[in-house]
Amino acid sequence: MDKITYRIKRFDGTREWFQEYTFPYEKNKTVLWGLIKIRDEQDPTLNFTSACRSAICGSCGVRVNGNAALACKTSLDELLEIYQTSTLTIEPLSNYRVIRDLVVDWEPKLERMKEVKPWLIASEEKDLSLGFIQSEEEFHKISNPTDCILCGCCVSECTQHSTNSQGFYEPFIFTKSYRFTIDSRDNAPSQHLTPSLEKGGLWKCVRCMQCVTKCPKGVRPADHISGLRKESMGLGHQQNKGARHAYAFYDDIRKTGRLNEMTLPLKTEGLTKTLSRRIPLALRLLRKGKLNPLHFPRPVQGIEGVRKIYRLVQKEERS
Amino acid sequence: MLNFDVVIVGGGGAGMRAALEASKEPDLNVVVLSKTFPTRSHTGAAQGGINAALAYKDPTDSIEKHFLDTVKGSDFLGDQDAIEFFVSNLPECILELDSFGVPFSRDEKGRIAQRPFGGASSPRTCYSADKTGHVILHTLYEQCLKQGVKFLNEWFLLELVVENEEFQGLVAMDMRSGEIHAINAKSVVIATGGFGRMYWNRTTNAFNMTGDGTAACFEAGIPVKDPEFVQFHPTGLASTGVLMSEASRGEGGYLINKDGERFMSRYAPEKMELGPRDLVSRAIETEIKEGRGIGQGINAYVLLDLRHLGEKKILERLPQIRQLAIDFENLDPIKEPIPIRPSCHYMMGGIHVTDFRTSSTPVQGVHAAGECACVSIHGANRLGGNSMADIIVFGKYAGLGAIISAKNRAPGDPTKVEKRTRYWQEHFAAMRQKTTGNKVVTIRDTMAETMWYNVGIFRIEKEMVHALHVINQLLEDYQDCCIGDTSQYYNMAFIHYIETGNLLKLAKAVAMGAIARTESRGSHAREDYPERDDRNFLKHTLITKTNGQYKLDYLPATITKYQPEERRY
Ligand SMILES: Cc1cc2nc3c(=O)[nH]c(=O)nc-3n(C[C@H](O)[C@H](O)[C@H](O)COP(=O)(O)OP(=O)(O)OC[C@H]3O[C@@H](n4cnc5c(N)ncnc54)[C@H](O)[C@@H]3O)c2cc1C
Ligand code: FES
Repeated sequence: MDKITYRIKRFDGTREWFQEYTFPYEKNKTVLWGLIKIRDEQDPTLNFTSACRSAICGSCGVRVNGNAALACKTSLDELLEIYQTSTLTIEPLSNYRVIRDLVVDWEPKLERMKEVKPWLIASEEKDLSLGFIQSEEEFHKISNPTDCILCGCCVSECTQHSTNSQGFYEPFIFTKSYRFTIDSRDNAPSQHLTPSLEKGGLWKCVRCMQCVTKCPKGVRPADHISGLRKESMGLGHQQNKGARHAYAFYDDIRKTGRLNEMTLPLKTEGLTKTLSRRIPLALRLLRKGKLNPLHFPRPVQGIEGVRKIYRLVQKEERS
Repeated sequence: MLNFDVVIVGGGGAGMRAALEASKEPDLNVVVLSKTFPTRSHTGAAQGGINAALAYKDPTDSIEKHFLDTVKGSDFLGDQDAIEFFVSNLPECILELDSFGVPFSRDEKGRIAQRPFGGASSPRTCYSADKTGHVILHTLYEQCLKQGVKFLNEWFLLELVVENEEFQGLVAMDMRSGEIHAINAKSVVIATGGFGRMYWNRTTNAFNMTGDGTAACFEAGIPVKDPEFVQFHPTGLASTGVLMSEASRGEGGYLINKDGERFMSRYAPEKMELGPRDLVSRAIETEIKEGRGIGQGINAYVLLDLRHLGEKKILERLPQIRQLAIDFENLDPIKEPIPIRPSCHYMMGGIHVTDFRTSSTPVQGVHAAGECACVSIHGANRLGGNSMADIIVFGKYAGLGAIISAKNRAPGDPTKVEKRTRYWQEHFAAMRQKTTGNKVVTIRDTMAETMWYNVGIFRIEKEMVHALHVINQLLEDYQDCCIGDTSQYYNMAFIHYIETGNLLKLAKAVAMGAIARTESRGSHAREDYPERDDRNFLKHTLITKTNGQYKLDYLPATITKYQPEERRY
């Protein structure tokens, strides 16, 4: 291969179009290198943001062939190998307002991030001039979430956020929420957590794991969402749909090793909601012979093994 | 016309630390103006750590030892009263960062962990794995949000309006709309970071470290101090200049030449790889010059070997460094040594600060802090971990200084600021229409090459005079540029044109200062004057622009406690 072509989605404030640029191939280069080459040598009107060129400032998130990535960290050789082509399509991150070409608007996202109070709330009695004592273990808990560089790759590919941007936080906001909820130095975990639960749609994550696979820094927002769910139950938020759903799974599997789909909606949504919402569906399922109201699953073979796992996990958690 | 009491230009570590301090004053209207979104600032790239004599790791460490190390590191050019103030304030400032929520790595007692760093007689560099700058930057941003600090993000400072030595206000562009605004203020803190990009690709700095604030002050008649002192970091990745932090040497990495020899034994037999940066950089370049490097010319390099540290230590202490080597040099340091070459890293020089307690400049109401400024605590050479420390201490005091100025000064004269704003609006419009002229990128690249080859690690009069001549020519070419973008919105071509102009102005000051300093001190190594000359040069360079001309002066360095002696490591 001696040439590479970028097909870049452009926008000038009113007009949107794709434009192609071709330049000579070089070994060991990054997507950002190509963008800079185009801007320096072919078209000074091409706009994108970048600063550190070492994957720490979070400026250069773009979509390459439909996948969010940091331009400065993404190897051209790898992409050419994966896609078996010399043409790459480069677009701005999804789920952002575009300002110009590949430049997107961060302001609304950061406005929203403020909801989880993304700052340490120390105890009022604490003498702040002395600093804190925090164990290495407690530090390790906040180590992964504090790797976030606010690049937006997770936002661009999040399945839930893409269809429900109002009802579901950008994944990095959950990460911030989690980071402060569990910081041993923080004295007001629920102030960081409650907004995720009440405004952020904490239980709506479908665990597609896009945020984890797309994060260029190895941050794991989906795990932080799970962590927040667990913390929320620990803080007494057990009477919401998500928590009840989780408990239903937990109880069923312990009892029989399998899910009881008959009682699941009852346990999750309660009797009234189940009656009003699920009955028509249930009737349809009954009619087609897909639901047997008299069936209560018996414990699976080897249920003792399942219960042993429960006991082990509980023991592990206590220690 | 926008009106504020205090404007802080720059959303990096120094700027946000200043903002936190200034915005504590409830009656003052404070704003931070930044050309990038704050967490994109280059402070985030600092990996290794931040110094403070907390004496956790080494109980025998003390403020006094940090003081002496810094003085010695500065090759006795640092002002000792300022250095004493700096090191004394540090422990408190670090604990303050802890209270803000910075996730520091911890020692076995749960206190902030510390590691050894080059040029330090005790391990006193506090860190968070190898992402110290990143976590400090983000934490400061979080604290600013908590305190409700106002931000104007993606706003670009174009001019500091000073008339008759009185600060009047600023002119800045809202990059997204392309509108140019007059900003009225009682005081300003300039915190725009360094200008290593005058060496363009041979630097560890981000693309936008172009010295805009330093150049704006310079244009406004405020001197630049000690511009000739440019720090070259010994370990930039050979092919891109991306930094391998000093932590890689701090944790025990070896430097090796093509014969597999740990060559530092010849240059710093005691400290070996932990010698100060200037010394290590010169050692590497000497190896390359004398044919013991690998490869040829600008592509030659030596090796940084971490393999003996073992997988566990590398993964635990240097995960980001490992990742950078994998991503940008295509090799895994657990298995292979890393090709490295010195790269321009830090500017010791900058805006002339006259009172370190308030980070004031000669113009009342104008304060400066961080890498854009020169107090001077770093003198001829900055120690690793002392710059993050600098932005935290002097950022804070710049914020306090700005409060004092804002309370004692009336706002500037709006008509003067508006007049300059109209000039910039017309200039922007004209540049968008202009279809012929020199390419900005060509000017930039010529400048960088000229500086790297002639005003780089080793310096000699003839080459530097040549460089000055080329820079002068480029300054002329710059008058007739074509940016090639007619857009009103987010016109990065225009921004880059301004940035390149700023670099050029400062590059000229660097070359002038370097030619005039006929001695070798710290990072300034003259082949034609290899000795330090305390009789004639124990003084700061001051370069001022008056009526379009560069004027050179000197100011004695302040010596309180430690008389100059030979630096030996
Ligand atoms: C790769 C690397 C690693 C480093 N590691 C360490 C380390 O381990 N320890 C240490 O002590 N030091 C380290 N340093 C040095 C240290 O990080 C910097 O000197 C320091 O962070 C500078 O901070 P600052 O606040 O002055 O500037 P920056 O963080 O660079 O911030 C400058 C701000 O000014 C804004 N700005 C610039 N121009 C304009 C304009 N025209 N209009 C509006 N806004 C503008 C920018 O947007 C930015 O927000 C390192 C430096 C580099 C390059
Ligand atoms: S340029 Fe900073 S993350 Fe890519």
